[in-house]
Amino acid sequence: MIVLGLQAYISFALIVFALVPLGRLSMAGRAMVFLIVLALGIVPLPGGLSLAGYLRGFTDDLAITTLVWLAAAAIARLGYLPAWPLATRRQLWIGFALAALVLYPAALGIGMIDTYRWGFVPRGLIVAAGLLTLLLVLLRNGLGVSMLIAATAAFILDLKPSDNFWDYLLDPILAIYAIVALARDLIIRLRRRRSNGSAMVARN
Amino acid sequence: MALITDLNRWQKWALPTLVIVFTLAWIQHPDYEMSNFSTDLIVSAEQSSSVDKTPVFEERFASSDLDEFVHSPSITALPDGGLMSVWFAGSREGAADVDIRSARYDAETGQWGSEKVLVTREMTRQAVGKPIRKLGNPVIALAPDQRLWLFYVSVSIGGWAGSAINVMVSEDLGATWSEPHQLVTTPFVNISTLVRTTPVFHVDGSIGLPVYHEFLGKFPEYLYLDSNGHIEDKFRIADGTNSLQPTVVPLDEKRAIALLRYAGDEGHVLATMTEDAGQTWQEEWAVAPWNPNSSLSAVRTDEGSLLVAQNNLIDGRFRLSLDKATSNLSSWSVVAHLDASPDPLGNPIPRLEYEPIMKQKFISSSGTERKGLLTGFMGLLDYRVCRSDMCDFEYEYPSLIRASDGRYHLVYAWNNSFIKHVTFNTAWLESQP
Repeated sequence: MIVLGLQAYISFALIVFALVPLGRLSMAGRAMVFLIVLALGIVPLPGGLSLAGYLRGFTDDLAITTLVWLAAAAIARLGYLPAWPLATRRQLWIGFALAALVLYPAALGIGMIDTYRWGFVPRGLIVAAGLLTLLLVLLRNGLGVSMLIAATAAFILDLKPSDNFWDYLLDPILAIYAIVALARDLIIRLRRRRSNGSAMVARN
Repeated sequence: MALITDLNRWQKWALPTLVIVFTLAWIQHPDYEMSNFSTDLIVSAEQSSSVDKTPVFEERFASSDLDEFVHSPSITALPDGGLMSVWFAGSREGAADVDIRSARYDAETGQWGSEKVLVTREMTRQAVGKPIRKLGNPVIALAPDQRLWLFYVSVSIGGWAGSAINVMVSEDLGATWSEPHQLVTTPFVNISTLVRTTPVFHVDGSIGLPVYHEFLGKFPEYLYLDSNGHIEDKFRIADGTNSLQPTVVPLDEKRAIALLRYAGDEGHVLATMTEDAGQTWQEEWAVAPWNPNSSLSAVRTDEGSLLVAQNNLIDGRFRLSLDKATSNLSSWSVVAHLDASPDPLGNPIPRLEYEPIMKQKFISSSGTERKGLLTGFMGLLDYRVCRSDMCDFEYEYPSLIRASDGRYHLVYAWNNSFIKHVTFNTAWLESQP
């Protein structure tokens, strides 16, 4: 059996639990599903690697922010917390989509400026993340504050194999989710505005 | 937005927590000071000429296994005058059975020992906890603190573009090794960073590892690791889609040249230069030699010029030459053709003509220890170099170093079948027409 870090097992359980349809299952039933998913990720397959290890081959180690968001989603699905308000989520979609735009194109080799480098010499990025967290405190965005404080605390404790602060703050899964959710939200708002406009014209 | 006086309970807790956590993070991650290039290995003319006044040129095979396709060797000098070489071997490049091999050269006997398996796919999978599809491109180097470093790439998903760099270190000159672990070098699930060329060292023992990307772009970078192998920083050598595998040659404490493999269809070797120990690099420019999208390797000579092992060809890898360039790279000359197809254009040769030529080349290349492998090797031509009774010569992926005694050591893949080691000295270089 190939033993993985705790993070790999938790990541697997949270990702799969976020995707499994739960229907009208009771809170206890949902908790049971979570435990089954967690166990599924730990059990070694032939060859010694578990499903959590195979998933890690595709996702690498998730950012701490992603883990906190997935954990918050899992707690909400288990029924211990209400779903986060749309405004809270929208602020985070905007923040992480913007961060993805800053990070990924430059890291892909477009131009000589490598923004990923900022995470190796991270004081500037720490200040930026701190200011963003302060803004989220003032916006009463508890989820965002938890994500950024947990990511930075994990960076202090060196909990991930990466030496780069970006890898605690953002990963492609979070970036894609934020961009897709933001795009979907924009489309819904535009459609609503258009249908409201049509209704106003009809009323007049 | 809430006013400060209007904060609720969790916000009042969050504010001091925020200040403490971010302040701690800031204090814990101070900016570092980049060290100059180590010039210890820049051997002076007096040093090298005192060792060898007569020309030395020796050839031998470093690898000893007949059954495998071999590729991408790297070599380092050991403190006792010996050498260690690593390469990858398997049924074909990218196959699941490829592993990383090593062999040691004994300076006293002048012979390479039998090759050994140093790293396997399974070993890497166990250590990094990810599925591993294939291994490749090992690079070995002895640090000034006498620790031996091994870097190699592994792929979990996709092709070579999905590579990550693994690192192992030996505290006892290669007798035992640490478990491999992966360097996290990109934000895309840590894929698309490869290593191929020899690292350089800085004065404080930090490591400058030339790396490259080949995912959407193809471009080289300079990874700066501390003396314990943690990434301190990363600097872009070039951007775009047309350069790979930088070979970095320090000229003095601050200046270094990087020669780049041209990753397009038809082009020349690209070059760039740093004047601040690797932090910034000039825009790359094309230099005189052709590069058929193949790896090259360079070192500095006594008088400050560059010695470059390369396939100076428009297409193909049928000739490996040793070329000399002035330090500004404006003037190039051929020192020697180390190995070459008898056909000047590298066209395939009918098997009947090919076999006697190959036998002769094998005997002159193998050294006494590996001479007995000739018959077995000739029986494997169809797997390696011949198709439909037409056969090729292939000499590629050179790795060139200079040992502290002033001698040069070059290893390269010889007809996909052996790792060939060539030793020469300054007296031999000077004796070339």
